[in-house]
Amino acid sequence: MGYALVVGETRGGVIEERSLDPVYFSDKIGLPSYLLLPQGKYDPLKGVCDKVLVSSFEEGDFLNPLNLVRTVEGVIGAFGAPSLILFPHSSFGMDAAPFLAGRLSWPLITDIAGFYRDEEGMVFVKPLYSEKVHAHFRLRDARGVVGTVRTGAFEGEGMRKETVFERLEAIEKDPRREFLGYLEEEVGDVDITRAELLVSVGRGVKEKENIPTFEELASLLGGTLSCSRPVADRGWLPKSRQVGTSGKTVKPKVYLAMGISGAFQHIAGMKNSEVIIAVNRDPSAPIFQYAHYGVIEDMHKVAQKMIERLKGQG
Amino acid sequence: MEVVVLAKWVPVTQEEELKLVRGEKAVDLEEIPFRLNEWDTYAIEEASRILEAHGGTGWVVSLGGEEADTALRRGLAMGLGKGALIETEEELVDPFERAQIFKNFLEKKGIKFDLLLSGVQAEDDQFAATGGILAGLLDLPYATMVMGIEEISEGEVTVLRELEGGFMERVRISLPAVLSVQTGINEPRYVSVTGVLAAAKKEREFLPVDEFSEGRKGRIEILKLEFPPPREGAEIIKGDLDEVVENIFEILKEKGVR
Repeated sequence: MGYALVVGETRGGVIEERSLDPVYFSDKIGLPSYLLLPQGKYDPLKGVCDKVLVSSFEEGDFLNPLNLVRTVEGVIGAFGAPSLILFPHSSFGMDAAPFLAGRLSWPLITDIAGFYRDEEGMVFVKPLYSEKVHAHFRLRDARGVVGTVRTGAFEGEGMRKETVFERLEAIEKDPRREFLGYLEEEVGDVDITRAELLVSVGRGVKEKENIPTFEELASLLGGTLSCSRPVADRGWLPKSRQVGTSGKTVKPKVYLAMGISGAFQHIAGMKNSEVIIAVNRDPSAPIFQYAHYGVIEDMHKVAQKMIERLKGQG
Repeated sequence: MEVVVLAKWVPVTQEEELKLVRGEKAVDLEEIPFRLNEWDTYAIEEASRILEAHGGTGWVVSLGGEEADTALRRGLAMGLGKGALIETEEELVDPFERAQIFKNFLEKKGIKFDLLLSGVQAEDDQFAATGGILAGLLDLPYATMVMGIEEISEGEVTVLRELEGGFMERVRISLPAVLSVQTGINEPRYVSVTGVLAAAKKEREFLPVDEFSEGRKGRIEILKLEFPPPREGAEIIKGDLDEVVENIFEILKEKGVR
């Protein structure tokens, strides 16, 4: 029986919870999981996985695709080849998994959101076309596979395991890529994580000239204006106003999403809002799957009407 | 500097109702508009800026049907010097296969580059993998989620990588290297339709994929496509604009935010 090698992620020495998604995924497949981590102490992982493999690399060097290939080769040397090598679908997983697949010449499936077996073997489900379609992928040959696992896609089944901790032998760094340090984004003018009402605009806002209308709407409602990635990318609103995995995670009382289609990275940043109202003219927009209330209408018309009414009420 | 950019011509499906075809193994793209993959637009802009600052030649390379020539012309109109289209009408679903074809192309054409740029992901399959696999196959240093190229000096480049929650990391990478560029890294220059049309006069090569097919093999295949099982979903507020707005105000009031 094989095992699944899970490459975990820490930031600032703290294990990221998303490292556990691939562990839960391994449980679902029915394989023992070996969780590979940088130097550190991981007592809270006792019972969660079958092995914790502690690398001699510190975090900055460990979370580096080039060094990781060497680390994984060491693991394969010590424990034999795993059936799967899994990462969280994060900035780190996206960095390391494809590179590792290329080095090992193993197939790769990213952003795995579902799994089942049919008579011919394992089937991996991955969203395509801005979440509108799920593709069911099969491996063409039986050798191992590298994958990244979507955060929250698999639930822990509360299995208690006899976790064995092992330290891996020290290996040399690959000199071709070097970690220099972390940077934190500058503090913005407004802290959107504190707002009780967020009016959030997405790609549907169309152009910069339309932003003031939504500023006005937010301010008339006593709320705060935030945005999805495309709006911050274009510099129409500062990065500090961006909701999503690479921006801020928010949970206001009301999240009014206007012209936001609902990419997974955005949903992850706002899904715990108490009430989500989505306004989008595309009825097949994925955001309607997550919102509590939906309005299938042009965001500009809705905003104009709201402003009119708010001003009319004086 | 020699810079190569990979550019994909992709369907724009964000606002389209999709239909499944070919035994539910593909999406019907007949009526869907296409464009240059958004991430690749940023990669091309970044390459153009590097070439403006350091001199050298820039390639834009695409793999796809003949319509993907528009991706090349857009890249050329944005400042790159040479274009190559590896032509195939096949839908290549495995990024491994695409990476292998690009590797064969670079080697067979003898293209020596300092930097190879791609977008972090393509809008259609969102695999975020071709650049990374290619770097692995070429055994060149790699970084994705690149949000800034700070400094290019003799034999190395310093880049910022976007992490989660507003953090970034700074890494130094030796050249030649493969980098995948995140949206928002720059502001891509505006190119008019006439600019794209005029780029038709620029140097481009059209090469059949068969020339670069050695060792190429899809390692994964699509068993089927399906629409995601509906979640509970939103309660749709119906009615005219006044009623809709009234309802939104009601909800805000209920939650005590108005």
